[in-house]
Amino acid sequence: MARYGMALDYKNCINCKACEVACKEENGILMGADKHRIWVGVKEIEGEYPFLSIVSSSFEPSQCQHCDDAPCQEVCPTNATYYDENGVVRVNADKCILCSYCMNACPYDARYVDDRTMTVDKCNFCSDTRLARGETTTACQNTCPTKVRTFGDLDDPNSEISELLRTREHFSLKSHLGTKPKLFYLT
Amino acid sequence: MQIEMSRRKFLQGTVAMSVVGGTTISATNLFASNDTHDKKLTITTKTGVAKEVKNIATLCEMCVNKCAAIARVEDGVVTKLDPNPMFPKSKNMLCPRGNAGIQALYDPDRLKYPLIRVGEKGEGKFKRVSWEEAYEAILNGTDKFPGVAKILDEEQDNRSTFLFCAGEGMAEHTFKTFFSAFGSANWLNHSSICLQTVASAYGVTLGAYPQADLDNAEYIIMAGANRAEAIVTPDTMDAFKRTKGRGAKLICIDPRFTNTAAKADKWLAINPGTDLAFVLALTYVVLTEELYDKVYVGENFNGFEEYKKSVIDNQYTPEWAEKITGIQAEDIYQIARDFMAHAPKAVYYPGRRSTFSNNDFQLRRAMAIFQGLGGGIDTKGGLIFGKRLELGVHEGLEPIYARAEARAVDSSKSQKGHSGYADCAVVTDGGSWIGWRNRFLEDRMPYKVRGMFCYKHNPMMNMPNTKKTAQMLKKMELVVAIDTMPSDTVMYADVVLPECTYLERTDPVNTFSGVEPAIAQRNKVIAPMFETKPVIDIMRGLTEKISKPLFEISKKHDEDLQDELANLGEEEIVGEDGNVTKTAATMTKEEREAEVYAEFDLTKPFKHSQEEINAHMVESVYGKEAVEALNKNGVFYPNMDKFYKALSVNEYQYYPEKEKSYSVNGGKPKTPSQKVECNLANLEKKGVDPMPIWKDEYAFSVPGGKFKLLTGRHAQFTQSGTANNIVLRDLMHENYIWINKRVAKERGIAFGDKVEVSSKTGSVTIKAYPTEKIAPNQVFFIHGFGEESEALTWAYKNGGNDNAVIEDIIEPVYGAASMHETNVEIRKV
Repeated sequence: MARYGMALDYKNCINCKACEVACKEENGILMGADKHRIWVGVKEIEGEYPFLSIVSSSFEPSQCQHCDDAPCQEVCPTNATYYDENGVVRVNADKCILCSYCMNACPYDARYVDDRTMTVDKCNFCSDTRLARGETTTACQNTCPTKVRTFGDLDDPNSEISELLRTREHFSLKSHLGTKPKLFYLT
Repeated sequence: MQIEMSRRKFLQGTVAMSVVGGTTISATNLFASNDTHDKKLTITTKTGVAKEVKNIATLCEMCVNKCAAIARVEDGVVTKLDPNPMFPKSKNMLCPRGNAGIQALYDPDRLKYPLIRVGEKGEGKFKRVSWEEAYEAILNGTDKFPGVAKILDEEQDNRSTFLFCAGEGMAEHTFKTFFSAFGSANWLNHSSICLQTVASAYGVTLGAYPQADLDNAEYIIMAGANRAEAIVTPDTMDAFKRTKGRGAKLICIDPRFTNTAAKADKWLAINPGTDLAFVLALTYVVLTEELYDKVYVGENFNGFEEYKKSVIDNQYTPEWAEKITGIQAEDIYQIARDFMAHAPKAVYYPGRRSTFSNNDFQLRRAMAIFQGLGGGIDTKGGLIFGKRLELGVHEGLEPIYARAEARAVDSSKSQKGHSGYADCAVVTDGGSWIGWRNRFLEDRMPYKVRGMFCYKHNPMMNMPNTKKTAQMLKKMELVVAIDTMPSDTVMYADVVLPECTYLERTDPVNTFSGVEPAIAQRNKVIAPMFETKPVIDIMRGLTEKISKPLFEISKKHDEDLQDELANLGEEEIVGEDGNVTKTAATMTKEEREAEVYAEFDLTKPFKHSQEEINAHMVESVYGKEAVEALNKNGVFYPNMDKFYKALSVNEYQYYPEKEKSYSVNGGKPKTPSQKVECNLANLEKKGVDPMPIWKDEYAFSVPGGKFKLLTGRHAQFTQSGTANNIVLRDLMHENYIWINKRVAKERGIAFGDKVEVSSKTGSVTIKAYPTEKIAPNQVFFIHGFGEESEALTWAYKNGGNDNAVIEDIIEPVYGAASMHETNVEIRKV
């Protein structure tokens, strides 16, 4: 029993996409631009050459926010989307009927269709791969060149993520929606 | 208008260009591939469903960095590559290419069997043969091409009639051992199309090509280097954790707004090829305002007064540089002052890239001297030389062939009073690739070169003017290619020898110097697939076939060898009476021949397996435990058991602070004089400026309506070597040409439109990416795309090949290829 979350030192991100490949290789994700559990968001720069705004060009690594109040879980008519014992938002492929309500409900665009299993898939913090065999990091955290991510138990006051959230300023995405994300962006 | 693009819209096919969210940025990758590759949905494998699992420590070879990886092998299949945290160079990371290494191993297009050409040269028609048949064809040829024996006999044992060329890699050494034993003087590698000028310029100025301590530097000027995209370990990891007000100020100087610019504190657009003027102006400010470290300069500089006089007399002011570089004078003043305020913990980053402009050697000299003015040499937070852990020796073989000619260099003076070679002032071991190729095509060789051995090297893609390279390969009577993939160059081969990938072989153990030195070894993860072999096995098989027949050819033509063989151990003794008597021969003819042949036995360096050679090289210095550590962990350094520990879930300690090798030479340069060399008189004799100066011919200009073509690297691709990697291609389907947004609009070019890019050399068609990240008179696309080999399912005619357009302009000092000197025209098609 844990309550897993992730802190992202997002200013470190260089948009190399190592995390995207590691996720695909670890979890056997499909090829294709819309088939991914994890991504780096990029903003096209503002201004005219050579007067460009550096701050307007940022890289935002992201994935499922594992909301404590997840809209995707709420709207799922078959309870295919559920919270596991560690607070991770998971999908039961056997129950999913591909109604895609969850895709529309998710404010973070974190869900996509896996055409093999006919499931609306998503990040599960490598729960059925790495965590299942006793690893303590996700594939995306482990591979990152600039160490953007720290994954861990939010309920454990001695975990590194708890320490980070105590000592560093941070924010959540679209916090006004009240979804209570468990991804925290460090400033 | 800002559009938030969701996957739902993406699926509906309303893909727009500019993509921005309110508080979040959507899951969008503009360049990603959206095709599902027919029905082959499952490319990757979910880990953790196997009966038998093994974890094997190896080193990556998806680029040149050699990062440490752990391969997860499930029931004999490699399912995942993870970072190996034990290696101080790569720390605890694998980049996207490192992760995609599995696809290099399981690429369906891999070379699987030895091949012999049966069609016309370059046509790509081969037949599958056995290894023995392939070796036989190399020795004795077929009805389509002559073998080594015929060519060497006709050229009377001039071993230099064969060219040897290789790409960078840990096993390059093994192939080079074959080259040395074969006895040719013609060796070409990546250096003249890579970092020749930067490495050499730092070499003559500071005595070595240094590393940068980006972990401790407080101020970093990164000019013409793009560490966020052209990943170098550990620099990339060290730098970007500390920028944006977190310990290191990063100034990015680049004509393009790169990802490095996005992570910098300041980005200054510079006119391509004018960095030298920028550095000279920084130097001017530092000299005139007396900001330099006077004690350091006094003790550690040669020729300082002459250089100071030159810079001041030439009036290299920031105002002067502003006109040339496009960077405002006030920025130059500020950077010079800030750099020196932080020195010696300030780095003018040397970079490691190909030569962009004809003044590159002088630019690098000026950068090295500027670094020295702040005293940031061989010191924490500055440039460092690092400590090296020595390895034992593996004996090679270097027979003396009397008939072998010297390197095919045209030393005729190109102009009066110029004491250099025809196409460059200095010839080094790496040689000038394009100079060599062009001389060969123009019949300007001092003797005939008729064949070549090409290892893990793709000249068709890797050097300017692809047409000329194709002509060269067609003109070569025998081309032997050793490679893992059916590249464009392999298509021109007569004999193709399939090497296994890096995950299927153990490579020569290597030592990695630095602040935190280590020894690392690439261990075989799985057995070679199909009929592929590691290069050491290929060399063993080939030399067993050709060694004796080639020795016979030497015996026929080499008089020195004939004399040597005739000496059967008899000695002439002059008696007291002056009479000469001969002692009896101490050996038979056969015994003598065996003794002499031992010096020419090409099989000798390849007798042992790579594992045995590595064990010997390591055990002789560090003992058996080190051998075991390398086999198990892939990494070893003395006291690792005491020093190495996890600091957090992400970070590790390799050496305690007091054990780190920031300074190995007392803070001095490593030149023979132990001083920074400002004024090199010996260069003047070769027609090279002895001190960095600006010349009007270096100025940036583009004729109206044309564009300067820039090229560069990318975090998701390594030159042409990864072009067929399906997982990487999924991240970026093909290369796009950057063109200024306003210019594109004027010309009616939208995102994804096809444009033709043409120069004097040739033309390619490529899709457009209009952006404000590039100047209106420049265009850019990344290198490595647009292969023409039909055997590459995904890389074939995918995107554009920069070298089909870049002109073969030769840098004057080392004969390097100047990559940013080409003007192009753009036409929407």
